[in-house]
Amino acid sequence: MRKLTAILATVLLAAGCGGAETAATPQTIRLLVFGAPEELRAYRTLVDAYAKASSGAQVQLVEASDREDLITRLATSIAGGSPPDVFLMNYRFYGQFAAKNAVEPLDDRLAKSTVVKLADLYPQATEAFQWQGRQLCLPQNVSSLAVYYNQTLFQKFGVAEPKNGWTWNDLVTTATAMTRNASGAIVRGTESEGGGARVAVYGLGVEPTLIRIAPLVWSAGGQFVDDERKPTRLTFEASPAKDALRDFVALRLAYGVVPTDEEIEAENDEARFSNGRLAMLLSSRRVTTTFRTVTDFEWDVAPMPMYGKQQAGILHSDAYCVTSGSKAKDAAWRFLEYAIGAEGQRIVAATGRTVPSNVEVSRSPAFLDPAQPPRNAQVFLDAVPTIRRVPTISTWPEIEDATGGILENALYRGDKLDDVIRQLDEQTRPIFARGATP
Amino acid sequence: MRLRTVGAVAVVAVFLPPLLMLVAGSLREPGLPPPPGPRLVPDPLSTEGYTRAVDLGGLVRAGLNSAVVAAIAVPVSVLVASLAGFAMTQLPRRVTTAVTVASLAALAAPATALLVPRFALFRALGLTDTLAPLVAPALLATSPLYPLVFYLAFRALPADLYDACRLEDLSPLRTWWRVGMPLVRPVTAAVAALTFVLTWSNFLDPLVYVYDRELFTLPLALRSLSTLDPTNFPVFLAGAVLTTIPPLVVFALAQRHALRHLRLHEYRET
Repeated sequence: MRKLTAILATVLLAAGCGGAETAATPQTIRLLVFGAPEELRAYRTLVDAYAKASSGAQVQLVEASDREDLITRLATSIAGGSPPDVFLMNYRFYGQFAAKNAVEPLDDRLAKSTVVKLADLYPQATEAFQWQGRQLCLPQNVSSLAVYYNQTLFQKFGVAEPKNGWTWNDLVTTATAMTRNASGAIVRGTESEGGGARVAVYGLGVEPTLIRIAPLVWSAGGQFVDDERKPTRLTFEASPAKDALRDFVALRLAYGVVPTDEEIEAENDEARFSNGRLAMLLSSRRVTTTFRTVTDFEWDVAPMPMYGKQQAGILHSDAYCVTSGSKAKDAAWRFLEYAIGAEGQRIVAATGRTVPSNVEVSRSPAFLDPAQPPRNAQVFLDAVPTIRRVPTISTWPEIEDATGGILENALYRGDKLDDVIRQLDEQTRPIFARGATP
Repeated sequence: MRLRTVGAVAVVAVFLPPLLMLVAGSLREPGLPPPPGPRLVPDPLSTEGYTRAVDLGGLVRAGLNSAVVAAIAVPVSVLVASLAGFAMTQLPRRVTTAVTVASLAALAAPATALLVPRFALFRALGLTDTLAPLVAPALLATSPLYPLVFYLAFRALPADLYDACRLEDLSPLRTWWRVGMPLVRPVTAAVAALTFVLTWSNFLDPLVYVYDRELFTLPLALRSLSTLDPTNFPVFLAGAVLTTIPPLVVFALAQRHALRHLRLHEYRET
């Protein structure tokens, strides 16, 4: 019995001590981010540098492992009345919080700031975070899709490297020429020819997702929703969206230049590329950090091929948002000024992870450093003027979730195109109906 | 006896292969492409996954936090559960039934439904971003199931025993501690083991209540390792092996404890 009392006392004491520690001073703010362990290191560096630069202002980094974890943390703490002061969120996912007025508009602070001006940042990224005419969050990066390619492998097989102005047909031809078996001969990885069993190197890696297909549709002058401002449904039944979808799934079904789903389960595209067994990979700037650890071969980036008549890319951008429930908004804003400003942007750019949203930093050696791969980093900046973005709607994350499985089946299992288009429409219509738009 | 052996073999056949694959996978060299099929003995063998897991995932710190939480939560939880279970045997039948029904209803409530109210509660108490919310469920016996388990165990003891204690003028608390608890030791061992596993593998609570990396427990650290790319899965699996060892040890200890006690009983009865 004495033991029990002793233990209970310990628990209560521990609880009491904890309570005293968390009484937040206004100087300390909480920043919620997510990322793989290597990415989180970049934010730790940023936060430490800020503490030094601002003589004592503290930022507590709250680390989530992935987006779902971050959203669980964020949603619970907002509902529970104690949100983090700042969080980092992609423009495709912030709508649900904007619609619930959980994000603080920054227009007034921007107007007064002597450190940061909206004009310092790429408008393609800042516009993505405007909700009902107000600037809710400030973007830290402005990435788009590029084609990463293994230069060493191209030279080995004597195939011409991708270059500016190339087209979708060039991409398919190049990917076909780069899909090889173990002895280096060109093979097709289609099901009729035995699937991936004979393929040692695949020509291309691409995810079957809405955000990878969207730029093709835009490039051909089309849309994949009925109304970009107030979308109510996906419209893949109309050309050119339908043609883009058909040509996309042909990569696996007709040409066999992308790995099968079993192969991707065993080794995803990024790992396959790092291991020198994928010639090209369609991805955003995010993968650069991982690829910089590659020592076995040379690699570089090329622009997105033109699918239609115009160049089109898709925006990948994360922004710092201040929560409307924050009790230290001034301190949060001071951190934002630092993180979006030249110094903060240089620190994060040094990790290779981001294309800085700050125009000046993006054109400086902090980003274009020729000593660090990719040598042709200018590709990312050249793509900025052609960047478009997916519609802003609060339920967009659910739309991406719902379409993911359908598009996977279309690419890997070869579901009939008309069925795929019908499923895409049927399964997302109710989600569109529930969503709020600015 | 033979039936028991067959049962044991069947259970081992189901649970052992994944564990073996876990260990085998953790000994692969990180950074290499994953093999197309499972391989029992990786070539080359490497323990680099372990060193990197400890470093990258901060497993030492997280392990310490998990151990602190379990060291406080498990004994408290077992004591609360046994005390509550014992109290139920001393209450009028109608009250006991009501408590049982309430416990079953509480068992059916999904944990996620309580997430926000619990967060608000801990915030009001100023306990978010401490380990206290992870220990707190122990004050309610961790799960409503465990007091019920103890209730059934105490109820199975002969009623004469309690009458005798009352005649001896033993207080209910003394009856519980001196007479009841020694007689239900196998149950205590089992509940302790189950509570340990529940506490050890608790992911949702630390995810929501703990912000500071220094306070992360093992499930959060493992979650962070799980975001590594597939070539680095040996690192993640090494973390999983290290995290799995303590529950295995606890189970082995609990089982030995429970079995020894059962055997003692068998001797006495013959």
